[in-house]
This record gives sequence, structure tokens and C-alpha cells, in this order.
Amino acid sequence: MWQAVSRSGARLLMLALASGVAASLGAQGTRVPGTVVIGTVGDPSLPVPYLGTMNTQNADVGDQLFLRLGVLKPGFRTTGDDALAPMLARSWKRVDSLTLLFELDPRVRWHDGAPVTAHDAAFTWSIAHNPKINENQAAIESIASVEEAGPRTVRVRFRRAFQEQVYRFAFDFQPLPSHLLEKMAPEAIAASEFAAHPVGNGPFRWSRRIPGQLVELLADSAFFAGRPGIARVIFRVVPDASARLNLLLSGELDVMDNVPPANLPQVTALPSFRIARLPGNAIAYAVFNQRSASDSGTPNRFFTDLRVREALTLALDRRTMAGLVYGPGTAVPDAAQSLLWSWITGGTIRSAPPNLAKARALLAAAGWRDTDGDGVLDRGGVAFRVSVIYPDSPTRTKLAVQSQAMWKALGVAADLHSFPGPQWQERHFRGEFDIDFAGANQDASPLSLIEAWSCASARRPGSLNVARWCDPAFDQLLTKAVAGRGAVADWRAVLDRMTSQHPAAFLASPAIVAAIHQRYENAPILPARQWLALWQWRIRPGAAIARDR
Amino acid sequence: MRWLLRRGADAFLTALVAVVLLAVVVHLLPGDPLAVIIGDRETDPATRAALAASWGTDRPLYSAVGHYLAALVRGDFGVAMSENRPVATILLERLWPTMLLGGLTLLIDFTCGLALGLWSALHPESWRARVLGGLTVVGYALPSFVLGMVLVWLFALEFRWLPPAGLLDQTLPLDASLWVRMADRLTHLALPLATMVLATIAVPFRQQRAAALATATQPWVLAARARGVAPAAIAWRHCWRPALTPIVTLLGLWLPMLVGGAVFVEMLFDWPGIGSLIAQATASRDIPLVLGAGVLLIVMVQAGSLLADLLYRLVDPTQRDR
Repeated sequence: MWQAVSRSGARLLMLALASGVAASLGAQGTRVPGTVVIGTVGDPSLPVPYLGTMNTQNADVGDQLFLRLGVLKPGFRTTGDDALAPMLARSWKRVDSLTLLFELDPRVRWHDGAPVTAHDAAFTWSIAHNPKINENQAAIESIASVEEAGPRTVRVRFRRAFQEQVYRFAFDFQPLPSHLLEKMAPEAIAASEFAAHPVGNGPFRWSRRIPGQLVELLADSAFFAGRPGIARVIFRVVPDASARLNLLLSGELDVMDNVPPANLPQVTALPSFRIARLPGNAIAYAVFNQRSASDSGTPNRFFTDLRVREALTLALDRRTMAGLVYGPGTAVPDAAQSLLWSWITGGTIRSAPPNLAKARALLAAAGWRDTDGDGVLDRGGVAFRVSVIYPDSPTRTKLAVQSQAMWKALGVAADLHSFPGPQWQERHFRGEFDIDFAGANQDASPLSLIEAWSCASARRPGSLNVARWCDPAFDQLLTKAVAGRGAVADWRAVLDRMTSQHPAAFLASPAIVAAIHQRYENAPILPARQWLALWQWRIRPGAAIARDR
Repeated sequence: MRWLLRRGADAFLTALVAVVLLAVVVHLLPGDPLAVIIGDRETDPATRAALAASWGTDRPLYSAVGHYLAALVRGDFGVAMSENRPVATILLERLWPTMLLGGLTLLIDFTCGLALGLWSALHPESWRARVLGGLTVVGYALPSFVLGMVLVWLFALEFRWLPPAGLLDQTLPLDASLWVRMADRLTHLALPLATMVLATIAVPFRQQRAAALATATQPWVLAARARGVAPAAIAWRHCWRPALTPIVTLLGLWLPMLVGGAVFVEMLFDWPGIGSLIAQATASRDIPLVLGAGVLLIVMVQAGSLLADLLYRLVDPTQRDR
């Protein structure tokens, strides 16, 4: 059955768009064009999907230029064929457990006026699965082929049956214009005129880029879902956090999507900005290495014992730590669960309170005692002294220092080693640590747990499972959840198993704290891809400032 | 001419050795150079190996350095790993904002700084000279980013007279008049330039003051005073020129500041120049970009040194025969 947009839904959408357009008309009945200036950490130098390093800044700009086939619905569930709302694809239907047909919306056009066709999708697939062009083959590994099944019908075959096929293709896939690129050698596209001035099909069209300074996009008045409420979007490159904050405080930036906790009082005090807290996709944790820090072939002498892992987790006052480091609105999970996945646990994330007495008892039961009275536990002549690594960011540093103090109270000596990002990353992936203060930005899909926590990933060199944690029972539950029909209970069982096994001390699931200028209304920021709904933003009547006109 | 050729050859050889050393040191830096591309994504060993081969990060040290030097001889600075664009293009884009900020800083330092230093030497006992001397020392002692943060807080956030960062107002209409554009450029330039000047002017000021003080007691100056030569003529003709020699050396040494001397200031003021580029490239371990910026700095150092020697010979005729 086609999962079509219902007529009432379409009417509602049109009504919302019409009201948005009406609201953005000024008092004299003229449209207030509107501008949004967004600060970005890096230079969006190649914002075309698959062509270059798809870092956050390229992806953020690419989201405005190139439509996805579908977008996540509120709640951010990724499982099931009805997980997404239509965007470039107006509907889709299942042929069998491995095949889906997507029907592209005939109203969508490239910014040069050419229609978007199934051929564009098939051509883009040829680009996306060319490892010489797109080095991120892991992201499309589950897709076997993308073919034209009609002028606007795309047939997608998957390598295996799983419950997130629609999400995996429709959310991750952004077609490129074949009529502009097909005649070029694929390897030459990244250096072509197209890459410098991309032609997309999204709500905003390319205007200009000043290298190292900005990318400017203008609203596409012919956008199929209605003209965007904002006429101009500027992604301003501001690598330094202090400079970004100063620009926000002086009103030169309109939005900041991750206000540092330390600066929150300052930003909250600004009358022209409001603070929005959104479910974030980040988690922070101290992962316990299952292998020796110096020899990955040898089991870790401390952390192969579950009692030890649990003791070190219980010794931490994680709620206090998370509040101090990330500010209000931060949840503390017992498993690898960001706020984005709170649907798995009924919309809330809970954690066990600290229990130092139980932690001491667990270590004693595991044979760790302070036999020489030096304040550090020992067993068989080996002191409980662990090597801890962390990147030199302010948040991880605070977490590591606070944990060190709390573990000291338990009799565990933690030697802290801070490294600049690339050096930390090298040690992180090589597993050269006993405890690593790591973090992750989780995909909207809980299937990403496989990459970071499964036994298969533990055996794979270079995988995200840097601690080489492997629990066959967890894997069984994971397999059941993946193969199942997306039942929440299955995923809950996966997280419960992880909670019971303590592969890491999970420290925080921070919220995204965004500062948004008061003059915008209907200004959603989405957790998985912050600026996907930018086209729905509009200026409150009578609130426009000079740069909006 | 023979001197110039010899000096030029010296400069070239020194630059060559410096580039080789730079290439060796940068390749020896700890940290995963592919991190800038891979980020926190899972990468299987085959993909990692393919990436390492395509970016040349799997080469042994001697081969990596050799490849780099050979490419450099062909004028190829390589491709920046963080942006997948030619390093030369990125450097060129970033060069002029840095030249603008550094050039104006040098200009103000070596005009106002020298004039004030000379005036201060000629009025050593005046309270104004003492205050001036104290202020320049304070400016020099404060780290530039602290000074910059204070200026931003005061003039951008409290009084809101000046923009806190950036090269220009990117929301200005494309049809804005020339005057509006110039005013915009100047207001954006004001705070970073003030920071740079306040943080650096003490050096030429004090050098000039010390050199002029030493000259002021020389017999020819005393004789000129005894002859009743006007104070301005004494300052210009008898004190300033002989005191210029150490300043010329200083100017040569400071030329590289045009390119790389403003890392903190450029970061704080979001000034899209070479300084902030160096900081970002080093933090992300973007080897080709770090090397490209480093080579540019080496060339600037050598050019500055050569220029200083040339000026030295112009200022001091006794040097011309050596």
C-alpha cells in the first residue's frame, strides 16, 4: 500500500504554509524578506553530498540545497516503513522484504528549472557508491542498488531485511542533478563549476561563497512546498567559540545552536534572544577498555570484571557532574542513549544514583583491597592505578578531573592524560587507555549501536568499539531488535542489557541549547539535522530589523 | 650586485633547509592525520589504507618529505585535507586580510611608534613621555588576546560602537554605496588593528627612544644645539637618522608578522587571515595546509631579513663596502 500523504495532511500543510506566508507580510501587505545569520565552526567549502568531506558545515548547507526523500517525524523514530514524512518522495511502497519503490514528487524541480527524475537518483547512486568519490561507503553499505523503475519511480534494493530500510535510504539519500553532471568524469565533479556553484532542488538556492567567511543562500521562490518564509540564509564562518559568542551578544548572529553552558546566563539575559532546549544526539561516557592499554592482545587486568565496571560507575555522582558540566536539561543515562532515543524508554532517561558503599563492596568482592594502606586498592601486588585519556576540550577535562576525585575516594588512582584532538583520536582508536572519556553524536537510528558496541565491531580493527567490549547476550538482543518490527520493547531490552553490563560509565546526554533571535516565529530546530526546517522560519510581523529588508 | 647575489643565495639555502626541517617536523607530529577526514566515523582498515594511500600519509618519512619537496619545486603546495581544495588557493584567499591587518599594524608601529619614541627621547623628563612609556609597556605586557577581549567587551558589547568580529558586514546590500562600504571596512578593522598596535607598538617605540637617547648626547648633537639649530632640525637631521639602524633590523624581523604574527587576534576577531588558518590547520593536523602556511612564513622571514640587510646598507653607508 502506498504510504501517501493524506489529503487532510496536505490541506493542513498548505494551511500552515499559507498562514506562514500571511504572517510574514508586513503591515502594508508587503512581504518582509527576512535574513538568518547562522554561525558555523568551519568553512562549508564543498556542500554537495558525496563529493567531499561531509562535515557538519557542508552537511548543514547541503541540507538547504538538496532535498532528502523523506524527513523524520516528531518523536524521531527511525523504525518502520512509516517512520518518515514525505519530502522529495511523495510516497513509497514495499515490494518485498528487500525492495522498496519510491515515487518522487513531480512538482520538485532543480533550481535551473529541470524536473527531478528517477534518473537523477540512479545517477547519484553511481556517484555515492564510487569509493573514489565518496569515502563514506559504510553509510550506504546496506543498499544493493538504486534503479529507475519509471520516470519518477525509484527502485531500491537492500542487501538484507531490516526495519530501518526507509529511514536508511530516504533520510540519507540526496539526489544530484544528472543533467548537469552526467557528462563529466565522476572524479572531476568535485573541482567543477557545479561544485563551486551548486544547483540543487531544496528550499534555498546558491548565491555566493566568500572562502573562510560565509556562504549565502537565497530562498527559491519556486520551491514546491511553498516559498520559504526567510529570503536569505547566511552561514557565517566563525571558528573561534569566543568570537561566535561575541557576535551573538552584539546581535550579528541570529542563531547559535550550541550555547556553551558557561555562557548560558549571559545569553539568557539578552532580551532579544530566547533559549530553546532540544533533544540532543550527543552522549558522553568513560569507557572501560576490555584490552590492556599497552597490548591489545591481552585482556585488561581491571575491567574484564563486571563488578569493577559497576563499582566505578556507582562511585560517580553523575547527575551532579552532568549538571555542572553541561547545565540544566542534561539527562544522565545508564546506557548509550542520547535524548534523541528517549522514545525507547518512554520519553525519559533515568539513571541509578551513586552508591559508594555498594561500589566498595563490589571491589572488595572482586579482591581489590588496600593492603598497604597507601589509599590505593591493590590485588596480588598490583595497584589499582589506571591510565585515563581524554581530549583537551573543557567539558571532557571537567568530567575527567571530577571522576578522578570520586574514584580516588574509592581507592582507585586515575592517571589523567589530556591530548589535543588528533592525538587523542589516535590513542582512542588504538585502544591505548584503561579508561577513555569519549563521546558520540548518535545517529537518529539505534541501529548505530551495532557499530559501537557489538561483538562484530569489537573484532573489526578501526571500528568505533574502541574498548573491544563484547557481550553475546547483548548481541542477541540487538539482532532481535534489528530483525523485528521495530518494537520499542526490543530496543528497551537492548539498552537494559547494556545497563546491566556497564561497558562504560555513561555520564551525560546533553540537550541542544539554542539561542534564537526573538524576531523569528515558527522556527523549529531539529535534533538530527538542525537546519532541515529552516525554510519554515519566518519573521514575526513588525519585528524585522535592518538586515531583514 | 655581487653582494645581493651572494645574500640572495644565502637566503635561498637557508629557506631550503628550513623547509626541509619544517616538513620533517610536521610529518613527525603525533596524531592521526586522517582524523580531519574521517572524524568520528567508523572506518574499516581497507578504507583507511585507501585514504592513507591517496593522501600520502602512509609514506615513510623520507619519501613523504621528498614528495613534498618535489611537488614544491613544481609550484604544487598540495591539497588541504580539511577542505579538499588546493593549499595555494586557500593561502591566496587568506593572504590579503592578513596583509591588510599586518601591513597597517607595521605602518602605524613604524610611523607613530618611531615618532613617539623620538619625541619621548627628546623630552625624557616630561610627564607625558613617562605616561606614554608606561602605557606602551602595559600594552606590550598584556597578551594580545586579553587586550582584544577587553576592547571587544568595551567597544562592541558595552558601548556597541564597533562590530566585535569579522572583516565586513556580510548582510550589507550589494548596492551599498562606496562610502558605506568603506565605513563598514574601517569599523570592522578598528578593534583588531587597535589590539595589534597596542600589543606591539612598545617595541619600536622603546627601541627608537633608547637609540635616540644614546644619540642625543653625542658631540654632533650637542654642537648643533650650541649652534642654535632648531629643535625639529636636531631631531630629524641629527638624532633620528643615526638612531635608525637598529630600527631597520627590527623592521626586517617584523615583516613575517604580516603573515603569521596575529594568530590569537585573528581567531578572536574572526579575521579570515593566515594566522587563524594556521591555528585551525594545526589543531586539525591538516599536514598540507600547515606545511603551506609554514613555507609562506619561511619565505617571508627570508624576504624580511634580506630587505633589512638592504635597508641597513642604505641607512649606514659604511656597510656598503662590506
